[in-house]
Amino acid sequence: MNLVGISINHKTSPLSLRETVHLNRDEIVEFIPRLKDGLFSEGVIISTCNRTEIFGFPSVLSIDPSIITEKLQEFKPGIILKPDHYSRYFSCGAVKHLFSVASGIDSLIIGDSQILGQVKEAFEISEDLNFAGSVLRRIFDTTIRVGKRSIKETSIGEGAVTVSYAAVQVVEKIFANLEKKSALVIGAGETGELAAIHLRDKGVGKIAISNRTVERAEKLAEKVNGGIVSFNSLAEQIHNFDIIISATSSENLIISFDTVKSALKKRRGTPVVMMDIAVPRDIDPDVKKIDNVFYHDMDSLKIIVDQNLQKRKDQIPSVEKIILEEMVGFFGWYNTLDVVPTIKTMRAFFEEIRHDELEKIKHKVSEEDYIKIEDMTRRMIGRLLHNPTVKLREFAETGANINDVSTNTMILKELFNLDHTPVNGNESIKENKKEDPLEEE
Amino acid sequence: MLQSIYFLNLLLPLFYITAFSIYSYDFYNEKKVVNNSKRIVLFITLLLHTFYLVSRMIEYNHPPITNKFEIFSIIAFSIGFSYFILELLTDIRGTGAFIILFSLVFQIISSIFIEHTYNVPEVLRNRLLGLHVISALLGYSGITISAVYGVLYMLLYKNLKANKFGLIFDRLPNLEILEKLSFYSVVIGFILITFAIVIGIIWLPSAFPNFSYSDPKLVGTFIVWLIYGVGIVSRFLGNLYGKKAILYSILGFCVAILSLIITNTLAKTFHSFY
Repeated sequence: MNLVGISINHKTSPLSLRETVHLNRDEIVEFIPRLKDGLFSEGVIISTCNRTEIFGFPSVLSIDPSIITEKLQEFKPGIILKPDHYSRYFSCGAVKHLFSVASGIDSLIIGDSQILGQVKEAFEISEDLNFAGSVLRRIFDTTIRVGKRSIKETSIGEGAVTVSYAAVQVVEKIFANLEKKSALVIGAGETGELAAIHLRDKGVGKIAISNRTVERAEKLAEKVNGGIVSFNSLAEQIHNFDIIISATSSENLIISFDTVKSALKKRRGTPVVMMDIAVPRDIDPDVKKIDNVFYHDMDSLKIIVDQNLQKRKDQIPSVEKIILEEMVGFFGWYNTLDVVPTIKTMRAFFEEIRHDELEKIKHKVSEEDYIKIEDMTRRMIGRLLHNPTVKLREFAETGANINDVSTNTMILKELFNLDHTPVNGNESIKENKKEDPLEEE
Repeated sequence: MLQSIYFLNLLLPLFYITAFSIYSYDFYNEKKVVNNSKRIVLFITLLLHTFYLVSRMIEYNHPPITNKFEIFSIIAFSIGFSYFILELLTDIRGTGAFIILFSLVFQIISSIFIEHTYNVPEVLRNRLLGLHVISALLGYSGITISAVYGVLYMLLYKNLKANKFGLIFDRLPNLEILEKLSFYSVVIGFILITFAIVIGIIWLPSAFPNFSYSDPKLVGTFIVWLIYGVGIVSRFLGNLYGKKAILYSILGFCVAILSLIITNTLAKTFHSFY
C-alpha cells in the first residue's frame, strides 16, 4: 500500500504554527484540487485547532512527503514548516496513525470525543470532491469503526477532563434531578461562560449570571437562557440557588462564611454546592465546615481532572488492541484484493476451453443439438465454478485470513496454470492439451 | 422432596456468593456485560430460595419460622427480595453488593445450623402467625436496606466533603438518589411492620389470652414503629430531609436492632418461641 501523509500536531509544532496551518472547510475544498494536480489520486485533509493531517495515494509511484508541505506552503504563504514540525507516515504506519487519531489516543486531551466527528467530516469532503476511491473509503470506514469501538468498548472518553466539567460532575454526585435545581454563575469570563454552558447542557432548570459588569452578565445570560442577579445583592440572593459557581477575577473574597451560614439557615439546611473555580478564591474556604455545604475549589477539582486523565491513559492499551484488531482486518481485506482478478482469469480460462471444444463439434452436430450442447456446457461450467468463485469472493469480501487466501489463490493458479494464461487463455489451453495424457490416448 | 430441600440448603449459599461476587465485581469494575447478568443471577437465586421455602413448608407442614435458622433464611430471602424489587423500580444497580452481603451472611448461618424437624409447637403452625412473621421480617428487611443506604449516603457525603474522589465517588449513585432509596425502603418497611403489628393484635388474644400490653416485645416494637412513623410524617411535612433524615433512619435502625436483642435475649416475653 502506498498511502502517504503528514501530520502537523501538538506533539510536533507549537500552537501558533498549528493555528496558522489550520484549514477551514472552504480552504480544504480549495486546497484539494491542488493536491489532485499531480500529487494525489485520492486523499483526505483533517484539520482541527490541534492538528492538520494530509494523507493520500500518490498519482505517481511514490512521493516524498516534503512535497505535501511545499504544496501547503504554496497554498498558505507565510507558513514556515521545518521537518521537525511534522511527522511523516507511510503505508501501514499511515493507516495506524489515522486509526489512532480517530480513537482519540493521539489527541492533546486523550479521549477527545470531537475528533471522530471531525475525521468523518473530512472524509465526506473528500468524497464530495471525488477525491476518495474504494481503498480510501475502506480505510475511513475502518477508521470510524475504530473511533466508535474505542468509545463503546473502553472508557477512553469517560470522566471530566476540564475543571468546569469536573465541577458539573461533582454537582451530579449530589443532585439527582438537575431540572429542578437552580444555579448561579458568578463571573461572566471565559471560565464562567464554560461552566454556565455545561450547566445548561446538563439541563439545570434555572441559571442566573452575576457579574460586576452587567452587560457581560446579560450577554452570557442570553446565551444560556438565564437570568441576572445583581453583583451587589449577592449576599441576599444566594440562598435561592442550589448550585453556585464562582469564577471572577476578584482579588478579595466575595462570599463570606457568615453569608453562607445565614443562607443555609434560610434554606433550612437544604444542600448547596459551591464551586470556587477562581484564582485567587472568591468564596471563603471555611464554608466547607458547614453541614450540607459542598465546597470545592480549583485544587479539589483538579484532583478529579487528574484522576480522569490518568484513567483515560490507562485505557490506551485497550484502544491499541482495537486498533491492532482493525489493522489485521483491514490488511486482510486489502491483501485479498488480487483475488478478484484471479476469479476473472479462472472464469475466462474455463470459458475459453468451452468455446474451443464447442468450436470442434459445431459442424459435426445439428444446429438444434449444438444449441443444446452449448447450453449444457454453459450450465456445467457455471456449476463447476460456482463454489470456487463464491469461496474466493467470500475471502475477498470478508477480509479472511490472508494465509488461507494466498494459499488458495496460489493453488488455483498453479493447478490451471493461470499465471501464464493470456487474457483469452489460448496459450494455456494449448499447453494443457499437450500435457493432457487422456487427450493423447 | 427431602432430597431437594437438603440439596437447595447447600446450593443457596453458593448462589448468594455468586450473586454477591458479581455485584461486587461490577461495583469495582463496572462492566456492561456483568451489569445486565447480575440481575438475572439474583433473580434465579431468589427463585430457588422461594422454591426452597415453599418446599420446606409443604414437607414439614408448617411455615419456615419454627427455629432461628429458618428465620435467618427468611431474613436472607426478604432482604434479597426487597432489594430486587427496589432495583427493578429504580433501575439503580450499583449498590446491590452492600445489601446482598446481608442475605449471604444470614443464608450461610442458616444453611449450616438449620434443623430439619417435623415436630414443632402447635402455635407455630398457625397461618396468621406465619403471615405476621413474614411481614415483620420483610418490614425489618426494609428498614435494614434503608439503613444500608443511609450508611452509603454518609460515606459519599464524607467523601464529597473531604474531596475524596475514589471508588465511592465513582460508583455510588448521587446523594439525592441514595436518600430516596433509603426513604422508599423505610416506607415499605414501615407499612409491612404496621401490617405485622395489626395481624399480631388480631391473633394475639386468641393465641395468648394472658398477654400484657406492657410486654417488652410489644413496647419495643411500638417504640420502633413510632420512631419510623414520626420520621416518615416529618419527611412528608418537609421537616426532615438530607443528612438529618439519613441520620434519623440510621438511629431508628439502631433502636430496632437494640429492641430485638433486648426482647429476644434479656427480657421475659410471651413472644419467645425458640
